[in-house]
Amino acid sequence: MFKELLRKTYQWAQKKSLWVIHFNTGGCNGCDIEILDLLTPRYDIERLGIVAEASPRHADVLLCTGPVSRQAKTGLWQIYSQMPSPKWVVAVGSCSCTGGVFKGSDTILGGIEKILPVDVFIPGCPCRPEAIINGLLKLQERISVNEDK
Amino acid sequence: MKINNLDALRKSMADSLKVDCEVYRGIDGDQTLRIPSAELKRVVSFLVDQMDCRHLSTITAQQRVEDPDQIEVIYHFWHGISFSIMTMVSEELPRLPEIVSILPGADFYEREVAEMFGIEFVGREETPPLLLPDDWDQGPPFIRNEDHRE
Amino acid sequence: MNKISIPIGPQHPLLKEPLSMQIDISGEKVLGGSLRLGYVHRGIERLAEQRTYVQNVHLIERICGICSHIHTTTFCHAVERLLEIDVPQRAYYIRAMMCELERVHSHLLWLGIIAKHVGLDTIFMHTWHDRELALDIMEELSGGRVSHATNQIGGVRFDLTDHQEAMIRTTITDLSLRVNNLLDVIKNEPALQARTRGVAKVSPEMIHQYCVVGPVARASGVDVDFRRDDPLPPYDQLDFNVITHNDGDAWARTVIRAEEARESLILCERILNEMPDGPVHVRAPRRVPEGEVVIRSEAPRGELFYYLRSDGSDKPARLKIRTPTLAALSLLPKQLSSIQVADIPVVMAGIDLCIACADR
Repeated sequence: MFKELLRKTYQWAQKKSLWVIHFNTGGCNGCDIEILDLLTPRYDIERLGIVAEASPRHADVLLCTGPVSRQAKTGLWQIYSQMPSPKWVVAVGSCSCTGGVFKGSDTILGGIEKILPVDVFIPGCPCRPEAIINGLLKLQERISVNEDK
Repeated sequence: MKINNLDALRKSMADSLKVDCEVYRGIDGDQTLRIPSAELKRVVSFLVDQMDCRHLSTITAQQRVEDPDQIEVIYHFWHGISFSIMTMVSEELPRLPEIVSILPGADFYEREVAEMFGIEFVGREETPPLLLPDDWDQGPPFIRNEDHRE
Repeated sequence: MNKISIPIGPQHPLLKEPLSMQIDISGEKVLGGSLRLGYVHRGIERLAEQRTYVQNVHLIERICGICSHIHTTTFCHAVERLLEIDVPQRAYYIRAMMCELERVHSHLLWLGIIAKHVGLDTIFMHTWHDRELALDIMEELSGGRVSHATNQIGGVRFDLTDHQEAMIRTTITDLSLRVNNLLDVIKNEPALQARTRGVAKVSPEMIHQYCVVGPVARASGVDVDFRRDDPLPPYDQLDFNVITHNDGDAWARTVIRAEEARESLILCERILNEMPDGPVHVRAPRRVPEGEVVIRSEAPRGELFYYLRSDGSDKPARLKIRTPTLAALSLLPKQLSSIQVADIPVVMAGIDLCIACADR
């Protein structure tokens, strides 16, 4: 029973303090600006315990934007592999969900899930900061429901 | 020296450089002189040194469907008025003299045209890829032998 | 001392967008650098040839999130010139107002970034908070904060109601006060000045050699602004100041953008006062007659160049776009060879990189 309590505390602490790292795999910048907007006083994501990190080794969540250009594919995989488990991936914006408006281009792969396992998809072109917050809260729910990954 | 009049420019190029160029009036918002590709470097030197015209906006290359054996390369300048220098290279042997030694700002534009159309700029050390990915293996993406549009 | 090569990117806290750089240093001195673009290359010019003109307005807006409106404005002007249609004057004024608001939000965004790189996080928070006011106006009019879908071929998609006009005037007054306050703060802030004065000076000769445009060129004394020199309507009927500085260092590049933001807000008010009545859209045919056109406009980062060729169908035969950041990036390796390691963020931020624009 003590173990169960410990596990539940660990999960609660984890979901209440997600550290995110942001990577743009070739998008137009719209979603990236909206992600940066989350740090600013109007949306203030730090009140939810979410902090933007600089290094993949400190991060829990990878916030990805962009339709995964062929040149950025290796970089994306390297960042994901440097993140310690448990880790989650959030695809922000229509481009990172399906390729968006650039689908059909010969220099992009189209969608993050072609490379990485995605936990939460947040569509929108660009998605509003409120939608990104909603997506991150859904990720918190998912963390409390699932076992350790 | 400001360029107010394309005909005056054409005349001074014919007089001082002995370069024969014709006026192409097809571009709205722009005045264009068509020159032979071998004279490109001399003409750009003349524009930069004698006419003090140094702002190169970009280099456009295109392949017209009605003339697929030629690649048209247009150097767009701004000097109070918008004017361009147009030249043609053959698709089989696309070579042009470089102008980076005269205008260092042309570097990125030449590299882009080189990788997108396969044009070789003679006189440069190398044209490393600018925009295409490192694992691109399909040849110059803009060169097409048939109409590729749906 | 030995030379060390440091790779920066494609993911780096310094960079908002992927870009790969190799910086060579020896001790604290930077010897030079090279960069590799292409991480954001989506092949827009090739995609544009496969879509109709109407679909292309949607595509071109997504070349860049920060300067989306000026891209569609320039494209629509190019198509309207080929179609030879008379777009109503009111539509031109609405386009210009959105252009100026975009300039304000882009410069405030950039001011926040450079303050953050210097270590002044408070200024970053304040500028991005104030920037939200400009985004509020754009959202009130168009429904979108970042992508507005304002333009369509033949005019704009919406008109201003009286209520919206009143809201815009109040917000612009509020924002002008905040921008003036910001300008006072940065002019008197010793930390920002110490980090930027005298750093990475760019001479007018270098500007001409590398064909650099925009605020970077104006900060070195080169007086070029395509809103005045090659005006698209309605800029040929509007009165505004073009700001230049002569120092050419990172400080000049900082203060010029803050002053341009202030000037753009004054111009917004003027646009509202002089906006004529009338329709905002005229019907445009789907097929564009054969022809070629060159259009230049002034994006927040400098000269935006479009070459469009039509072959008589409903899809472009060739679309060539040259964005201002590409010209500024060619200057970057040269700027890096004269600075200390600690100045790298300031120099990179000073160009106001928009790699999405440069790579297309």
